Amino acid sequence: MEKKRISDEFEPGPLPPTRPLDRFGFVKQEQSFSPEGLTKSRSAYEREREERRVRKWRKMIGVGGSDWKHYVRRKPHVVKRRIRKGIPDCLRGLQLVIYETSASELDIIRDISRTFPSHVFFQQRHGPGQRSLYNVLKAYSVYDRDVGYVQGMGFLAGLLLLYMSEEDAFWLLVALLKGAVHAPMEGLYQVGLPLVQQYLSQFEQLVKENLPKLGDHFLREMINPSMYASQWFITVFSYSFPFHLALRIWDVFLYEIKLPFEKLIHALRNFPEDAMNPDTLLPMAYSVKVSRRLQELKQEYEKRDNESPHASESSEKQVQTVTLKPLKS
Amino acid sequence: MARRLDEEYDYLFKVVLIGDSGVGKSNLLSRFTRNEFCLESKSTIGVEFATRTLQVEGKTIKAQIWDTAGQERYRAITSAYYRGALGALLVYDVTKPTTFENVSRWLKELRDHADSNIVIMLIGNKTDLKHLRAVATEDAQSYAEKEGLSFIETSALEAINVEKAFQMILAEIYRIISKKTLSSEEPAATSIKEGKTILVSGEANTKKTCCST
Repeated sequence: MEKKRISDEFEPGPLPPTRPLDRFGFVKQEQSFSPEGLTKSRSAYEREREERRVRKWRKMIGVGGSDWKHYVRRKPHVVKRRIRKGIPDCLRGLQLVIYETSASELDIIRDISRTFPSHVFFQQRHGPGQRSLYNVLKAYSVYDRDVGYVQGMGFLAGLLLLYMSEEDAFWLLVALLKGAVHAPMEGLYQVGLPLVQQYLSQFEQLVKENLPKLGDHFLREMINPSMYASQWFITVFSYSFPFHLALRIWDVFLYEIKLPFEKLIHALRNFPEDAMNPDTLLPMAYSVKVSRRLQELKQEYEKRDNESPHASESSEKQVQTVTLKPLKS
Repeated sequence: MARRLDEEYDYLFKVVLIGDSGVGKSNLLSRFTRNEFCLESKSTIGVEFATRTLQVEGKTIKAQIWDTAGQERYRAITSAYYRGALGALLVYDVTKPTTFENVSRWLKELRDHADSNIVIMLIGNKTDLKHLRAVATEDAQSYAEKEGLSFIETSALEAINVEKAFQMILAEIYRIISKKTLSSEEPAATSIKEGKTILVSGEANTKKTCCST
């Protein structure tokens, strides 16, 4: 459109004559007020100097900006001097982004290809799956700066992204962690991982009560639930369980919004060969009644944990603080 | 996986792998225990562990290696992993200066949570990425000397020095243990064939009864 209008106005011919552009893409001004030095073509010496600068900058920035923070800390004066001399144009875009890159972002980038790496949707480097995963995690880390990004979130987001759009996955993540219709689960990822600690403590107690022999054995062998169960809770079973089983757990979890402690107890109690078949495990697991005891254990844990107020308050006491909102208002 | 129930060993040594996220801890573990390297590995959440039984200084040692998540936020739950650990492999990535810079923070973490006699080895991993190297061997070497750590560079991808690194730390642990046993009052030869878990601190040694299944 633009082009057409211009050519109509200025030129009857099919194409406007090409006019010289400067290195940024602006049409060169031929008027005399442009300083002579800038329009002159650059000498071989200047080019070489530019290349040397680019090399230095690349080293300073690192792959994807990974070394930038390190360099700023180690050699702040060098960084300042180089910036004042001007950022090489080919790196300017990247550098402007890096100024605003959070530590979370680097963590997210590092983990993107390490989230469900064997799933076809997430396999392709920079493919649609990886991009969506990045967008959801980045958006969450900005949305909730206290939590930011914690390893494990990617598996939650990844599981959701297999079934819904980026936007829906993001808001469902927000709803889960902030507690739209149930107690918030952000304690899974807050500093100190308070909710993980609570679950581990409840779980340990349940094992002791329901499976005393196994509980004793673990105790003797110095096996603490944090050694085997933390990844279950941190990723809501999406990390290490067979995927079809994880999905069945999620079906129930999203509806009842409680973690399937019954299942875990059951899985530990008897582990038949087909225990990983959801149609075997789930019905059997729900025959183990733990809900009431779980509630008591939570209260006990909170009482014990009271001296560190940070741990449970924020994650457990306020319900229904966030409602689902559309992305665009 | 079928496991020999009668697997016998003289000693069970627990060793933890620590270091920043993404430096290659899990692949060092899989290279050592299964001779595998996975380019598409998942990030470690929480903790994983694997074992391998091998001969060190003429003894059968069962090495139990704990691989932990590297992200800072996880330290809240990882302190339990250090309990009973006789050795720590502190890994950084030779292509990422930040991971080397953080070694001192990991040392502090060990001092706060692990036994004071724990044997620590500094490992610079990913030497196969020659063109990207950003931490000089000499810098790491002199840092290790200053801190009293042993040091080696490895490539889990090319299987270079991985075996050697584990052999070295296990041998070192064994030397300390055997010296301790000799100098202590306890009868040294009691449980050689049973295998036992040894606490460096010299508190009550827990007998390791084989899991009967």
